Amino acid sequence: MLSTANLSLEQAPPISIPLRFFLSAPLFGLAAGLLLLLGGGEVFASRWSAPALALTHLLTLGVLAMVMCGAMLQMLPVVAGSPVPRVVLSGGLVHLLLLVGVPALAGAFLTGDALWMAAALLALGAAFTLFVLVVGIALWRVTLPSHTVGGMRAALAALLVTLCIGGYLAGGMVGAWGVADPLLWTGLHLNWGLLGWVGLLLVGVSYQVLPMFQVTPEYPLWMRRFWAGGGFVCLSLWLLLGLAAERVGLPAWLPGLPLWLLGLGYLLFFVVTLRLLARRRRRILNPSLLFWYLGIALAVAALLLFAGGGWLPDAASATGSPLLMGVLLLGSALSFVNGMLYRIVPFLSWFHLQHRQLALLNMSVILPNMKELLPDRWANLQFYAYLAAVFAALPAPFAPESVSRLCGLLVCLSFLLLLSNLLRVAVRYRATLARLHAPIPS
Amino acid sequence: MKRVLDVSMLEPCEPLERTLEAIAGLAPGDYLLVLHRRRPNLLFPLLEQAGFCWHCREGGAAGYEIFIWRQDDAAAEIGAGCDLQC
Repeated sequence: MLSTANLSLEQAPPISIPLRFFLSAPLFGLAAGLLLLLGGGEVFASRWSAPALALTHLLTLGVLAMVMCGAMLQMLPVVAGSPVPRVVLSGGLVHLLLLVGVPALAGAFLTGDALWMAAALLALGAAFTLFVLVVGIALWRVTLPSHTVGGMRAALAALLVTLCIGGYLAGGMVGAWGVADPLLWTGLHLNWGLLGWVGLLLVGVSYQVLPMFQVTPEYPLWMRRFWAGGGFVCLSLWLLLGLAAERVGLPAWLPGLPLWLLGLGYLLFFVVTLRLLARRRRRILNPSLLFWYLGIALAVAALLLFAGGGWLPDAASATGSPLLMGVLLLGSALSFVNGMLYRIVPFLSWFHLQHRQLALLNMSVILPNMKELLPDRWANLQFYAYLAAVFAALPAPFAPESVSRLCGLLVCLSFLLLLSNLLRVAVRYRATLARLHAPIPS
Repeated sequence: MKRVLDVSMLEPCEPLERTLEAIAGLAPGDYLLVLHRRRPNLLFPLLEQAGFCWHCREGGAAGYEIFIWRQDDAAAEIGAGCDLQC
C-alpha cells in the first residue's frame, strides 16, 4: 500500500537557482526607472525612440523573462515531474548570459553602436538557445502532460518565434540585412512576445498557482484543455495571414481576425479568473491578490483599447494609443509576475527550510512561515508604489514631458521595495538555515 | 485510531505545516486522514523523509484523501488499510 512520491526532492534545483533570477529582476526594473527619470519626456516621445526601446527591453527581458525563466526551471520538476537537464549549470549560464545580454541590448539601443548590438545578440542568443533547449528537453520528456505543461509548451514555442523575429529585426538594425516592413515585423515581435510567450505562460501557470495559492476552484476543464493550444493557433494564423496579405490579395479584415479571436480568448480567461477569485474559499485580501486584480484590470483595459480601434488603425503612429497599449500590456504582465513572486519566493524558502529541517532532524528550530518570511504590510506597501507608478505611466504617452520623471521616480521606488522585500526573505532564509545547521544543544 | 485533519480551506504553506505538526503527535496505532482540495505532491517527499508511509486517493468531500502512518507501525497500517477498503 505504500506509495512513492512522484516528485523526488533531488530532482528540484537548489533554491539558489530560481532565487538568483528572482533577485536580479528588480535590478533591471530599477534600471528602467532610472532611464525614465533621466530621459524624461524623450522616453515617451515615440515608441521608436532609443530610450523607449531600451526601456521596453529592460522590462520585458530584464524583469519578465528573467522571472519567467527562473520560475520555469523551478516549476518543471514540481508540476511536470520532469527535471531540467543539468539545471545548476544550465540555469547558472542562462542567468549569467541574461545579466550580460540585457544591459548590452539596452546600451545598443541608447548608443546605436553596432558592437553593443552584436554583443547583446551573442549573449541573448546563447541564453535563450540554451534555455529553449534544456526546458524543451524537459517538456518533451513529460509522458503525461498536464494542462500547465501544455501551456508551457505553447509559451516556449512562442518564445522561439519571438526570438527569431527579434533577431531578424536586430540584424536589420546593424545592417546585416534589410528588413522590408519593420512596422509589421515589430508588431509581430511584440505580440508574439507579450500575447504568446508571456500570456500563454501566464495562462498555463495560472491553472496551477491560482487554485493552489488563492484557494479557488479549478479552472473549467474545457478552458484548461483548449485555451493554450487555441491561443497558439490564433497567433500562428495571424503571422501567416499577415505575411501572406502582402503577396496575395486578401480582404483587409482577414489578417487581423485571429488577433481578435485571441483577444476574445484572453477576455474569457480573465472573466473566468475573476469568477474563480470571487468564489475563493478564504476571503482575505492579500498582496498577491491585489496584483492579480490590477493585472486583470490593465489587461482588460488593453483589450478594450484594441476593440475600440486604438491599436490597428493607428499602428503607424509612433505616439498616443499604441504607446498607451504598451503601457497597459507591460503594466499588466509586470503586475501578474510581481504578484506571483510574492507567493513563490516565500513558499520556496519555507519548503526548502522544511526539507532541511527533516534532513537534519533538528526540530528545536521553529521555522518562520510564509507570512513571517514576508509580512503582508511590506508587500502591500510595494503594491501601492507600483499602482502609483502605473497611474503615472497612463497619461505619459499623451503628455510625456509632464509625468515621465514622476513615473520614473515611482518605478524606481516600486522596484527598490520589491528588491528589499525579496532580499528580506532571502536573508531570513539564510539566517534560519544557519540555525538549522548549528549544533543541537544537548 | 483514526485522526482526521481538514486542510482544504487553508492557504500554502499551512496545509503542509498542519500535516507535519499532526503526524508528529500520532500515538502508536494511530493513522492520520488528511482532507485536501489538491493532490499535495510536495508533502509526499517530506513524509517519506520524516519516516512515514502514505496513500493518496481522489475522492471525499474535499477532493483528495491522504492516509498517513508511521513506517514501523503495523497496527496503524492495518487500520488505514481497512479504512481505505471501506
